[in-house]
Amino acid sequence: MNERREEKMELSHEPVPGYRTAFFIAITIGSLYLGLILYKTLA
Amino acid sequence: MTDPVPPVIIFVVGALLVPFIKGSWKSAFLLAIPVVGFLNLISISEGTHWVVGFLDYRLVFGRVDRLSLLFGYIFHIISFIAILYSLHVKDNLQLIAGLVYAGSALGAIFAGDLLSFFVFWEMLTVSSIFLIWARRTEASLGAGYRYLLVHAAGGLCLLAGIVIHVNQTGSIEFGYLGLNGLGTYLIFFGFGLNCAWPLLHTWLTDAYPEATITGTIFLSAFTTKVAVYALARSFPGTEALIWIGAIMTGFPIFYAVIENDLRRVLAYSLINQVGFMVCGIGIGTALAINGAVCHAFNDILFKALLFMSMGAIMYRTGKINGTDLGGLYRTMPLTCVFCMVGAASISAFPLFSGFVSKSMVMDAAAGGHMRFIWFILLFASAGVFHHAGIKIPYFAFFSHDSGMRPKEAPIHMLLAMGIAAFLCIFIGSFPGFLYSLLPYPVEYVPYTAPHVVGQTQLLFFSALAFTLLLLSGIYPAEMRCINLDADWFYRKGGRLFFYVMDRTLNKINRVCEGVFVGGITGYLARISKDVVPRFILLGMVSFWVLTGSRGEVLQMKKMNVYNDFLKGTLPVGIGAGVAGLFIVLLFVLS
Repeated sequence: MNERREEKMELSHEPVPGYRTAFFIAITIGSLYLGLILYKTLA
Repeated sequence: MTDPVPPVIIFVVGALLVPFIKGSWKSAFLLAIPVVGFLNLISISEGTHWVVGFLDYRLVFGRVDRLSLLFGYIFHIISFIAILYSLHVKDNLQLIAGLVYAGSALGAIFAGDLLSFFVFWEMLTVSSIFLIWARRTEASLGAGYRYLLVHAAGGLCLLAGIVIHVNQTGSIEFGYLGLNGLGTYLIFFGFGLNCAWPLLHTWLTDAYPEATITGTIFLSAFTTKVAVYALARSFPGTEALIWIGAIMTGFPIFYAVIENDLRRVLAYSLINQVGFMVCGIGIGTALAINGAVCHAFNDILFKALLFMSMGAIMYRTGKINGTDLGGLYRTMPLTCVFCMVGAASISAFPLFSGFVSKSMVMDAAAGGHMRFIWFILLFASAGVFHHAGIKIPYFAFFSHDSGMRPKEAPIHMLLAMGIAAFLCIFIGSFPGFLYSLLPYPVEYVPYTAPHVVGQTQLLFFSALAFTLLLLSGIYPAEMRCINLDADWFYRKGGRLFFYVMDRTLNKINRVCEGVFVGGITGYLARISKDVVPRFILLGMVSFWVLTGSRGEVLQMKKMNVYNDFLKGTLPVGIGAGVAGLFIVLLFVLS
């Protein structure tokens, strides 16, 4: 059968509850850690 | 045993014979070309071969040393893999273009003088265009023309540089040049364009994804790597390359993340990887140069592997956008595994090829106390895992289920991908073999605890970032659109240029046409048509008025004389009178 599929214009990524908070916590910890390393390296 | 011949000869002669070989012999013949070429290559000793006199110069078609040999080996290997992958192709145009393209690349890297190098460089451009146009779509046609324009400009720049350099030095030797004058700057720029330097890179991301499925495999291997070779040969240790390379590693990441066409994602990734090589050449130490050419060797393999896996998907589904694909691991498991090997290699996972070469450049930067450069390279390492290591296999084989259930890739494609995957793992696991081929002696040890742990940390944190971005909904959506990059300047700027030229030059043209064609010329034509009767009427009307002719009678006489002169139906007496008057006038005026 010659099946014709509809082509998506956009493939978005729906958020899973709770992960946005986890993302920001990880970013904050990572940034602080990076900042500390840079400070210790350059100081 | 016969004497070796220039490697380019085997490929070009092979390409010329392709149309005359039919049936199953054709596949065997195509595969035999790189095999024979490789046997020929390993029989060539280091030194200078095939020197031909041309005018007052010596053209060298075989400058064979460890640098050119390394590129020669990998070009033969990837040619074999790409031809094996292309065995289903019946289109002679693609096959011939691919072989001439590979041969030109070999000609360029073994050229020992700038003139023959330039000829092979241009052959590289011309043959590669046919790999783009061979797809025969409107998009590929447009991309091919843009590719042609950009490379023609780069080629002219290179030629101008060579002419100036030869004029200044009297030498056509293709060796270390350094930046020491206009000529070398132009050569540097010409090489840089083929290297896809920032702002000069859009020909690559524009054209490569529009080429044929098999054409992209060839394209990913040769043009940029010949340019890397040329930079390593002529401009090692040029400081500007450090920054250019570092920028190249960084900026494509952002475009790759938002790109929907997965082959275009790989094209951006190609620039990112070439950036490591350019940076290494700029650093210029033995470790950095070794790292740059070692990474070029590995990149040819794993980038081809990734392009082949995406090509296999395209071949089976006709789709390549992230929005259309997903869930293909169910029916294309081997292609999926090979893609993941390529992804692991480009991401520099331990035991995969990228790990043993990329780190050489990074260690060279760290050893040279280039902290900021090292940091950019580290960021780029995380970024490449993000878009090429995860995004490519994830959106093609996993992600949402597209509902498509295509067949596994054809056997010859699987074999080609299998060979490339094997080499990626072999080099990653036993780097000593590749290290023994590098231009300088290698003391580098990739498998140390800090290196393995540090790299693994980097990769796992990158994976964590991708997962959190995706699950939190922050990861940008895949969209069916064209992302304008620096090509904005010629896509939009080109339209503006056309508009301005149309409004100015064409307007001037119209005015000139109105004045000279419709105006002066028309006036002269009208005048010359009835200048004689008008002149005659001047005298005749005065005569008729004096003799009493008025009103309609006068008008009738004027019309009759006018028409008689135009038609040439004058009474003999009047004709004779006018002739006499003409002779008198001539006499008076002379």
